[in-house]
Amino acid sequence: MSNRIEISPTTRHEGHAKLILEVDDEGIVSKAYYLNTTPVRGFETMLKGKPAEFAPIAVMRICGICQTTHGIASCEAIENAIDCEVPEDGLLLRELVGIGNRLHSHPLHHLLTVDDFLKPDETELRIELIKLIQRMRKVGQLIVDIVGGEGIHPPNIVIGGMRTNITERAKSKIYYALRQYEKDANELYEKYTWLIERFLDEIGIPDLGAHEYPYIASHTTYGDRYAINWNDVTEIPAQRYYDDEEAKHTTTVQIPLYGGVPAEGGPRARMVRFGSFREGGSAMDINIARAQENLGATYRAFEILDELDLNGKTRAEVVYKDGFGIGVHEAPRATNTHMAEVGKDGRIKSYRIIAASTWNFPIVEKAIEGYPQQYAEVIMRAYDI
Amino acid sequence: MVKVAHVQLCSCCGCLVSLADTYEKLLDVLNSIELVYCQTLADAREIPECDIALVEGSVCLDDHHSLEVAQEVRKKAKIVVALGACAATGGVTRYSKGNQLSKPVHSSFSPLTEVIKVDLAIPGCPPSPEAIVDVITAALNGDMEYLHPFAELAENGSEACGCDVIYKVVNKSLCMGCGTCAAACPTRAIEMEDGRPNIIKELCIKCGACSVQCPRIRFPELIEKIE
Amino acid sequence: MDPFGTYKKVVSARSTLKEVLKKAQDGGIVSTAFIYGLENNLLDGVIVADNAGEFRAIPKVATTPEEVLEAAGTKYTVCPNVSVLKSAVREYGCEKIGVVGTPCQVRAVRKLMKYPIGFRHIPDKISLIIGIFCMENFPYYGLKLIVEEHCGVKMEDVVKLDIGKGKFWVYTKWGETKAVKLKETHPYEQIACHVCTDYTAELADISTGSVGSPDGWSTVFIRTTKGEEIFNKMVEDGYLEVKPIEEVKPGLGLVEKLALTKKEKNLKEIEHRKELGLPVPY
Repeated sequence: MSNRIEISPTTRHEGHAKLILEVDDEGIVSKAYYLNTTPVRGFETMLKGKPAEFAPIAVMRICGICQTTHGIASCEAIENAIDCEVPEDGLLLRELVGIGNRLHSHPLHHLLTVDDFLKPDETELRIELIKLIQRMRKVGQLIVDIVGGEGIHPPNIVIGGMRTNITERAKSKIYYALRQYEKDANELYEKYTWLIERFLDEIGIPDLGAHEYPYIASHTTYGDRYAINWNDVTEIPAQRYYDDEEAKHTTTVQIPLYGGVPAEGGPRARMVRFGSFREGGSAMDINIARAQENLGATYRAFEILDELDLNGKTRAEVVYKDGFGIGVHEAPRATNTHMAEVGKDGRIKSYRIIAASTWNFPIVEKAIEGYPQQYAEVIMRAYDI
Repeated sequence: MVKVAHVQLCSCCGCLVSLADTYEKLLDVLNSIELVYCQTLADAREIPECDIALVEGSVCLDDHHSLEVAQEVRKKAKIVVALGACAATGGVTRYSKGNQLSKPVHSSFSPLTEVIKVDLAIPGCPPSPEAIVDVITAALNGDMEYLHPFAELAENGSEACGCDVIYKVVNKSLCMGCGTCAAACPTRAIEMEDGRPNIIKELCIKCGACSVQCPRIRFPELIEKIE
Repeated sequence: MDPFGTYKKVVSARSTLKEVLKKAQDGGIVSTAFIYGLENNLLDGVIVADNAGEFRAIPKVATTPEEVLEAAGTKYTVCPNVSVLKSAVREYGCEKIGVVGTPCQVRAVRKLMKYPIGFRHIPDKISLIIGIFCMENFPYYGLKLIVEEHCGVKMEDVVKLDIGKGKFWVYTKWGETKAVKLKETHPYEQIACHVCTDYTAELADISTGSVGSPDGWSTVFIRTTKGEEIFNKMVEDGYLEVKPIEEVKPGLGLVEKLALTKKEKNLKEIEHRKELGLPVPY
């Protein structure tokens, strides 16, 4: 016998979604459907026939938390289509603005999940953590404000590179802000990891949310279209992926598959692929990996500041021609992919997006299955949908 | 305490992130109100009766859920605030036209101001953290004088869009070339040429920031008080 | 009718900085305040109208006294100073910004501070607003026609422009001086200036202009607490020489006369526009 329960809407994440769970008599989830219910604003069709310059501006507005990654992936796709080579300093600044975004997005996610691990009476610790997180976010957003031009939907990310370089003063401001971030990120890592370990200990399920599916990642801090075999990537409609009628007709995302199966993207995937992070553990490992990535991103940002030539050219001349290109950027939450077909008139012929979060929708389902239903949302949140 | 809800319709959540970009002051803001609903930050799953609803996003007329939430908000909230361009003026969703997987029928997106009666509209993509806090504070204090321009925008919300600085200012011999619109534009779609705004209309996302910021359309008297 | 708006005090003043006086239009108040601010960490970036050749003006974010000096001198054409305000905060990384502008630009800045819808993290970074007296402004080609066709001087030969004693003055690099009556320049005024009733930049922290003070001096209104603080410090530290306005000629009376002239004339224009059903700022 199994019960079908619905959690709608799921909370503490971006967008609208719901969980449908089939639960056995022991309260264990036997089947999970994680369905996105956010209406489709249709950025792919919106762009058809529009000037290519509009693409990064529009697609940034897919997500107000990780706008930067959409802007970068969009520019990368179009530049790839027209064989445009971004000057070195433009690339460095672009990587830096992406890192800035991660340095705000990851802590925002810690903010959304921290209530899963805190006890109701730990109000002081909660406030302390919120303050710490907000201080970290401020640094991330400062970088995006300076380098990207606006902390939310940064317009300096343009086809050909970056609209402008930054000044020496701005650079030093970023440097000292990052020094503070480094301290705060260490503190957060310790406190947050401790909370998660305590939580897993207390519920007695050390592998909560484990799954056996592969990982997808292209780079640690930027994105690399050559690190992924695109022949192995397919996206199928929900109608073909699900056998459940409600799931088929409800969800507003398509299902991306890597080598024919779902794949997990995000902090753990990156750290497994490019580091020595443990594979196949609890979904809570993703939270820990995320807190670690704050530090990795900070160190890369320091390197970028050292390498950056403040007088260097940041934007290449853009000459349009017929072509197709792929742009990849590692969003905070997974690999973000944009594909653009551009005409020599500088207009978009066709556009496709495999947004970062969509990779993790089917994985969330796999991760929830086999574990008690009361932790379904905790597992889901680890994926930072 | 004043009960506030944040409701997200068809949007990117950037307006809420903007509110969160008050950084260390966010706690003060949250402590001055009772946040009764905010699906992104808290666990309440149903919109309760509230004093102020901050609604971001446009309404997808082809999605019954979206339409129902919009109407529900109107019933539950005393003051409905269209937070940000998508809700206030349509924003980038003005360009949505559907025919995309996996919901090819989602093709019509209207700003909230064109679907339900809205009391205050804050344009901008996103509106600045400072602007959002100023509006919330004024609403808490009942400062109607400050809010008046936002109430006006709520009534004519859909008109606040990119070309307005041309129609209402340049064409009406009111533009003196200060360049405020160019600085306000979140996509840098405005350059000053010969002391006048040149609108690169392909880059305009209909957020209304340029016209709402123009001192030659609206210049509320309270600005004249300096200390 | 109130001619000047809110102010704490009004004086006649002049810079003590030689390098400023060499380049400045009158008393060099704006350049001196900005240099003082930058040198003493009260400001870390200032927005000025820079010379773009042949009396064209372009807005610039200046972060050093040298850059301020390069931009010194009144511009007689539209310069969209506010357009670079955001970039001062963003890619320049400034946190204490000084802005100079005409009365209309000062009003624009005050509005964006009070209603910062499209100005994320900007309002608290504006540390000093200096306004300059302004009767009206010219589009660049309006200015060029006055200089080249009415004064008969080629733009590239001009070293200085000035308005005073009812005339528009042109000084050439060959040592010649030409002037036309202001009446002749009216057809070249920007029409949008005619709905403005603010002559003395009434919403600035400090407003300044040559009118009311003797040659080489400027009349200065200190309007706000912020303006008062920096002005007093400048005087204390010897950057400015100050005289009571009552002791100078032609004195405040002339400023009042011009301020009221602008108000009366343009209030009429506003009424006229209303009769025609044309919009006016409200």
